[in-house]
Amino acid sequence: MSFDLAFAASTIPTILSVVGTTIGVALLSCAGASILGFSLEMARRAGSIAGYAMRFAIDFIRSTPALAWLYFLYFVLPHWNVTLPALVVGILGLSIYFSGYLAEVFKAGIDAIPKGQAEAAKALGLHRSDVVFFILAPQMLRNVAAPVGNHFVSILKATPYLAVIAVPEMLGRAFDIASDTYRYAEPLTVVGIVFLLLALAIAHVVKVLERKFLGPTGR
Amino acid sequence: MTIVEIFVGIFEGFRVTATVTALGVLFAVPFALIFGVAQYLSKGVLRLAVTAIIEFWRSSAVIILLFVFYYVLPVIGIQLEAITVSAVVLGLNTGGYGSQAVRAGLQALDRGQLEAALALGLSRRHALTLIELPQALTRMAPTFINQFIQLIKGTALVSLVTLTDMTFRAKEIAELEYNPVGVYTALLLAYFVVCYPVTVFGRWVEQRIGAGRGLTSEF
Repeated sequence: MSFDLAFAASTIPTILSVVGTTIGVALLSCAGASILGFSLEMARRAGSIAGYAMRFAIDFIRSTPALAWLYFLYFVLPHWNVTLPALVVGILGLSIYFSGYLAEVFKAGIDAIPKGQAEAAKALGLHRSDVVFFILAPQMLRNVAAPVGNHFVSILKATPYLAVIAVPEMLGRAFDIASDTYRYAEPLTVVGIVFLLLALAIAHVVKVLERKFLGPTGR
Repeated sequence: MTIVEIFVGIFEGFRVTATVTALGVLFAVPFALIFGVAQYLSKGVLRLAVTAIIEFWRSSAVIILLFVFYYVLPVIGIQLEAITVSAVVLGLNTGGYGSQAVRAGLQALDRGQLEAALALGLSRRHALTLIELPQALTRMAPTFINQFIQLIKGTALVSLVTLTDMTFRAKEIAELEYNPVGVYTALLLAYFVVCYPVTVFGRWVEQRIGAGRGLTSEF
């Protein structure tokens, strides 16, 4: 058996037909991971017992593989009578897995804001919520833009994990073709190339956006 | 089976998890050092070639790389054991990330370090190995430890290419008896037990380096 280029080319349309699923899963997981990560970090900052619990939760998430989270949600949720579509389970799994990393990024982003900023805002008579939303949040976003962008690219590269819980995304499609034709090399190579190009393109977009929003001195 | 028995059963896979991790490190460290330094020193076409190789390993989705190498290599006549393929793919993927840390660490050094070394009569090679690399690698130590944890977690993927690691053991036990909560909780705990000590060690190193840096900047 040799590598059949014509057959490889013939698999491209089938695999690309679900590129929308991949991108949709990635976008929703980015949103889920950011919201969850930010909430975890805010709860950790609250101090007291909740703070310690969140600290442990973040460390626990960071110490466990994405694959284990996907299996856990996929097999345990139905046992608790929570039946969700595999797609939703996948997005939930990636959101949880990456929330641990994003919580650390937000922590660093908030820690890096000089204390005087909040103090000055308070001294000027700004309301507490105004201090958070108009003084701290914009500066934190500037600080975290670059690392968050990198994690978003990582999330995109983690979407093929969903193939193991039978979500029909690009890797899943490639395996469908493989089991129909008994040829694994060609469809998998096609998926590999598509993902590499997609990841490089999105990494580039992230960099351009960073430069646009942070200016030439952006980190 | 009690959860303790399940946990012990899952840990029977620790030998494979540890072996793949250790072999992966053997590929990751040389790759990160050689390609990180090469990207730092090279110019023009050579730098382009070095960057292309790094980006291939770093920007591809590791789960797809693993499948591509597992299924494509035999087709082009290269027969390797699953454990070798896994170690090479996971190792070089981690090495790709590591190379960026090496390069960033070298670029972040004060230019005066290199200039002083050359002014004192050190050769470029000695300036690199005796002055630049030790400082860059020390400063980047926490990053390397994080990447090591990522590698450990990444080894969960080898369960998909028939290796009996901790994740594979969990799936085997799950087939023996219906206890998804016990099995997948134990699986998450198993990885936590392995990775958390490394996380704690990483924090300790980070604090030590932080303290050391503050001290040296005073002189």
